Amino acid sequence: MALLEVTDLTKDFGGVAANSHISLEIEKGEIIGLIGPNGAGKTTLFNCIVGYHKPDQGIIRFKDKNITGFKPFQTNREGIGRTFQLMSISGDLTVLENVMIGSFCRTSDRRIAREEASEILNVVELEKDTEAYMTELPIATQKRVGLAMALATRPELLMLDEVASGLNPKETEEMVALLQRIHEAKGLTLFVIEHVMEVVMPISQRIIVLDGGQKIAEGKPKDIANDERVIKAYLGEKYAKGRKNRGSI
Amino acid sequence: MQIRTLKDALSFGDLPASERIGFILFIIFCLIFPWIIKGGFAQAVMIQFLIFCLYGLGWNLIGGYGGQVALGQAKNVGMSAYTVALLIVRWDIPFWVCTPLGVLVATVESFVLGYFLFRLRGHYFAIATIAVSLVWQQLFINWNFVGGARGIELPLRETPNFIYMQFVSPIYYHYFAFVLVMIAILYMNWFRKSRLGYQLRAITANEEVAESLGINIHWVKVKTYCITGVFAGMGGAFYTVYYNYIDPFSVMHLELSIMIALMTMIGGAGSMWGPIIGAMILIPLDRYLGAWLGGRGIIGVDFMIYAMMVMIISAYEPKGIWGIIEKARRKR
Repeated sequence: MALLEVTDLTKDFGGVAANSHISLEIEKGEIIGLIGPNGAGKTTLFNCIVGYHKPDQGIIRFKDKNITGFKPFQTNREGIGRTFQLMSISGDLTVLENVMIGSFCRTSDRRIAREEASEILNVVELEKDTEAYMTELPIATQKRVGLAMALATRPELLMLDEVASGLNPKETEEMVALLQRIHEAKGLTLFVIEHVMEVVMPISQRIIVLDGGQKIAEGKPKDIANDERVIKAYLGEKYAKGRKNRGSI
Repeated sequence: MQIRTLKDALSFGDLPASERIGFILFIIFCLIFPWIIKGGFAQAVMIQFLIFCLYGLGWNLIGGYGGQVALGQAKNVGMSAYTVALLIVRWDIPFWVCTPLGVLVATVESFVLGYFLFRLRGHYFAIATIAVSLVWQQLFINWNFVGGARGIELPLRETPNFIYMQFVSPIYYHYFAFVLVMIAILYMNWFRKSRLGYQLRAITANEEVAESLGINIHWVKVKTYCITGVFAGMGGAFYTVYYNYIDPFSVMHLELSIMIALMTMIGGAGSMWGPIIGAMILIPLDRYLGAWLGGRGIIGVDFMIYAMMVMIISAYEPKGIWGIIEKARRKR
């Protein structure tokens, strides 16, 4: 039984098919990358799974339970967490309090929430910044707080939306290492949307490629990097042809 | 669990010393006020100040912490006030029995309205609350059973009466209102540290993110709106026995709703002391200036000053006077 199972998912925005007939499966403990050029429908797919959009067609099953059409707070309670590109909640609350909001998803006791939140802040290495306000922090730290908030809801599947956007190469590297550590420590299943190849390629066990709302490829990172259709989608037909003639990368 | 809740409500330990001192001074001021200042008008203004504190503290939950521009606090006040007045006038039921019923009516009304109105967002929600308030007011103006536009007058008792809360001296009312405000403040002190408080602030900041953190936005808003209704209901019940008279223009009026909201915004919406600061400034200003200028035949200047203040504060610091204080404190 797969942890997440999407079957024949279609989402239409006024005649434009943002996702058409997408099927995929994610096993427990995997790291899956989701890539594709701008407008490929990555975020729509995410939003359909999490529940911001209701799919026009198709079934989403999580832990063998049909969660199609669930609201975001319901999918979260089922065990799907997500981060946003920009996740800052409130400038009036400290980092710790922001993460506590996530912990409050599972407990109503303030003390337990506080303890859990500071534990998670240790995991993402923000123990120094617990009392800082969100607006005072650099973007890389804000992203970590976002990650901590999502982790605080204790998800089994964590969906990461462009977790490296706006980060410099060094910060990106640190983020990748952090994700890997969290994955190993908690056995957490990760589903990563990403533009930046350097993030997805080294950590993903499997990569799914979308283009024009359709799934065009799926496989190991190495195979994906050499896949004709993927290169075409990303870099254009001309480039792919030229490359074919030369016969190598 | 209950003991912890109580502890949380009673503990002000996490606040800065200056706030704790301010709070103690406020309590002392309220306690000795009737013994120092004997003027009837001053005492009446003080009681009004306390009622508005109660209204403001309640509205601050949904309007401040929750960021929802709900302009219908007056209808909750009115619902409870009318329930209490009707029960006393028609069936002679003691005040202490009517009040819980009045609060219950206000809360149920908040629940039903909140359940439907919170399907709307932003300005649409604000307009819907205004519309409902106006409908209620018209309904009460034209409904003879509840006295119509003439309102309801409570029967005067011959001797001071605790069962119906009728006293000659305003001191009793003063302390009763003070107790209600203290309950409200303790509730707020619990609320700001509670799960509901944090969830509500998350919703205000970013609904999308809040939802992804497992928060049922609609339900949290409805719940908070009900609590707001409880506060307004207590205020309404008190209002009825204090004035012995209510009509749709005093307790159901949109002006009251707007006054409550603006007062809280000037003081600082979404902060614990904001509503009290707002009431402390606006109520005396409104009553004294209104009386003073009105006595000289200059009507309306107080409203102009009042409007100027709202404009200056909303342009300079949207978080009101408390926002200015916080900013100064953070700079240090």
